[in-house]
Amino acid sequence: MSADRLVKRFGELTAVDDVSFAIRPGETYGLLGPNGAGKTTIINMVAGLIPADSGSVDVAGIRMDPAGIAVKRHLGLVPQELAIYPDLTARENLNFFGRLQGLGRKELSSRVNAVLELLGLAERAGEQTKKYSGGMKRRLNIGIGLLHRPGLLILDEPTVGVDPQSRNSILEAVGDLSAGGTAVLYTTHYMEEAERLCDRIAILDQGQIQAEGTRDELITLTGGVDRISLVGAGRSAAAAEALRSLDGVHRVTDSGGTELILTVTDGAALLAGIVSTAVRSGMTLASVSVTRPDLESVFLHLTGKALRD
Amino acid sequence: MRALWTMVGNDFRQRLRDKSVLIFSLIVPLALMGVLSLAFGRLGTGSVDLQPATVVASVEDSGPLGAALLDSLGSIEAMKVTVREVPADAVSSETRTTGAALGIVIPAGFSSALATGQPSTLQLIEGSGSVLETSVLISIVTGIVDQFTAASVTEAAAKLGGVPPDAAAGIGRIAVVGEPILHITEGTVPAGQLSLRAGLVAGQTGLFLLFTVGFGVLGLLAEKEQGTLGRIRSTAVPQWTIVAAKAAVGFSLGVAASAVLLASGTLLFGVNFGSPSVVGLLVLGAAAAATSLTFIVAKVVRTAEQANVAQSIVAMVLGIAGGAFFPIQASGFMAVLMDLNPVGAFIRGLGISAGGGGIAEIAMPLITMWGFAVVCVLVSRFLPDRGARS
Ligand SMILES: Nc1ncnc2c1ncn2[C@@H]1O[C@H](COP(=O)(O)OP(=O)(O)O)[C@@H](O)[C@H]1O
Ligand SMILES: [Mg+2]
Repeated sequence: MSADRLVKRFGELTAVDDVSFAIRPGETYGLLGPNGAGKTTIINMVAGLIPADSGSVDVAGIRMDPAGIAVKRHLGLVPQELAIYPDLTARENLNFFGRLQGLGRKELSSRVNAVLELLGLAERAGEQTKKYSGGMKRRLNIGIGLLHRPGLLILDEPTVGVDPQSRNSILEAVGDLSAGGTAVLYTTHYMEEAERLCDRIAILDQGQIQAEGTRDELITLTGGVDRISLVGAGRSAAAAEALRSLDGVHRVTDSGGTELILTVTDGAALLAGIVSTAVRSGMTLASVSVTRPDLESVFLHLTGKALRD
Repeated sequence: MRALWTMVGNDFRQRLRDKSVLIFSLIVPLALMGVLSLAFGRLGTGSVDLQPATVVASVEDSGPLGAALLDSLGSIEAMKVTVREVPADAVSSETRTTGAALGIVIPAGFSSALATGQPSTLQLIEGSGSVLETSVLISIVTGIVDQFTAASVTEAAAKLGGVPPDAAAGIGRIAVVGEPILHITEGTVPAGQLSLRAGLVAGQTGLFLLFTVGFGVLGLLAEKEQGTLGRIRSTAVPQWTIVAAKAAVGFSLGVAASAVLLASGTLLFGVNFGSPSVVGLLVLGAAAAATSLTFIVAKVVRTAEQANVAQSIVAMVLGIAGGAFFPIQASGFMAVLMDLNPVGAFIRGLGISAGGGGIAEIAMPLITMWGFAVVCVLVSRFLPDRGARS
C-alpha cells in the first residue's frame, strides 16, 4: 500500500500535514509518535473512514475511497478504541464481521476457530464479551481485524492498557500474519513495541513525519549519542545552564524541574564530569542513568521532546 | 444483500438478547393499556353510567340566568347533580377539597351581559374526583351557555322584528327553558370512531410504535459509540446497506410489536378492529411513517442518549396530539396539522376498519402515513449530520 501526501485539517489545526509512506507485502511499518501526533487520523484516512483533504491512498493498486468496496476487501482494521458488541459472544462477533468481510460459511468457521485459538479465547468463545477482562476484549478486537487474512492489516495502538500476557499474544499474532505476507501498519507510542515489531518506522510529531527508516537507520540520525538522565532536587535550571557549556553535551532538556535529560557523545566517558558539574551547580542528585541510543532518544533528538508525557 | 441480512440478523439477535424491545415495545404498552382501561373502564362497555356528582357554585349574578344555569344542572336526568352554593372566593378550594366534580363562579352581570351580547367570563374549576363526570358537566355547562346566548340572540332578533320588549324576553326564555337542555343518551359508537377501550389499544399501539422503531436507525448512534460502526464502515460493505439494515430493523420491530399489541388488545380487552388485512396495511403505513421519523432524529442528535430523549419527546407529542390517550379536538390550522399526524391517521384508520371499512375507505389515513414517511426521508436527506464528527 502507499499513502501519498496526505493532509487532514480540523478547523485551524492541521492534524496530518503532508504525510507519505509505502508498505510492501510482508513488511511491518510503524508510526511512532506521542498522543495527538496524528496517528489515528492517518489510519482513518488509510482505512477510508474519513476523506483526506488532499492526497491519496492506494491499497493493492486500488485507490482508497470512503465508498470503495473493492479496495476495502484487502483491509483489516483494528481501531484504537474497542469495537466489539458487548451483548454478543466472541464467536458471534467474529462470525458477524467475518461475514461482512465476505468469508464463506466453511472458511468462516475454520478461520473463527483458528483466530480464537491463536488469541487464547477458544475456551470462553461462547461467553458474552461484556463479561471479558480488558485484555480479552483487546485480543478479540484484534482477532476481528485479522480474521479474513487481509492484505493490509492496520492496528491503531492495539496494546494500550493490556496485560503483558495479552500483549505478547497480540504481538505474536501480528508477527504470524506478517510472516504470511500481510503488510502491517502499526501505530504506537511505545518505543519498545515499534523496535520489536516493525521493519521500518516513521517518527511522527505534530502531523508530520520527522524521520523514517529501520531502527538502526534512525539511531544513526542521532549521531550515535547517548542519553543521560539526572534526577534530583534543587537548582536544576542552573545545572542545565552549566551542563550545556560542557564539551560533548549536545542538548539538555529540563522536563519540569526534577529531571534533566542530556544527549551526549560517549556518555560513559563524560559521566563523571557531568555529575560533578550538576552537583556544583546546586543540584542534589537522586539518580543518574545512561542509556544507549534507542528510538526514544531519536525522538528526543528530532523534536526536543520526550515521547511519553 | 448478504451484508444487509447479516446486519439485520445481528441487530435482531442483540435486541432479543438484551430484552429491551420486549420490555419497552410489548410489556410496558400492554401494562399501560391495562391500567388506562381500568381507569376508564366504566366507559369501555359502551354504555354510560354516570355517578352522582356535586357542583360547588357561587352566583354573583343578580339576573335570572345564573340561577337558571344552576337549576338546569340540578335537573339533568342522566346524572344526579347536587349544587352547593358557597362564597365566590371559596369555590376553588371547596371544589378541590370536597371531591366535587366541578366548581362554577358566575360573575356579577352575567345575565345582562348575555342579554346584551357583551362578553362575560364564567369560571369553571375542575374537581379532583372522577374525570368522566367532570368532563360531562363541563360540556353540559358549555351547552347551556350556548343556549342562553342563542336565546339572547333570539330576543334581540325579536326586538328588531318589532315584538314588544316584554314579549321578546318571553320568547327568549322559552328558548331557554322550553327546550330540554341536553340529552344524555346511552351512546352507540358512531361508525368511523373507536370505542374508548379500542381507542386506548389503538392509541397505545401507535404511541409505542414510535418508541419501538427507535431501536432501528437510532441504533446507529449506539454503534458509533461502541466503535462498531467504524469497523463496519471499514469492511467491504456498501455504505447504504448500513442505514438500510437499521431502517429494516426498526420497521420490522415496529410492525411485529404493533401486530402483537393489536392482537393482544383484541384478546385481552375484547375489542375488534375489523379485517386483519386492512389492519395490516395500516400497521405497515404507521411503521413506515414512524421509521422515517427516526432518520430525522438520527441527523439532529449527537449521542445515543440524546437520541432516546428526542425520540421519547417526539413519540409523546405525536402520540398525545394523535389521540393516544384521549381524543383531541382542534380547529383551523391546528386541525390540519393534526390531520397530518401519523398516529392520528393510524387511529382514524383503525376506527374506519373497526366500523367495517375496507381498503378503499382507509385510503386517506394510508396516504397520510406514507406521505409523512416520504416527507421525513426527504427532509432528513437535506439536514446536515450533527453526529457525523466522532
Ligand atoms: N474529529 C476531530 N475533530 C477535531 N480535531 C480532531 C479530530 N480528530 C483528531 N483531532 C485532533 O487531531 C490531532 C491528532 O489526533 P489523532 O490522530 O487522534 O492523534 P493520535 O492518534 O496520534 O493520538 C489531535 O490534536 C486531535 O485533537
Ligand atoms: Mg490515536
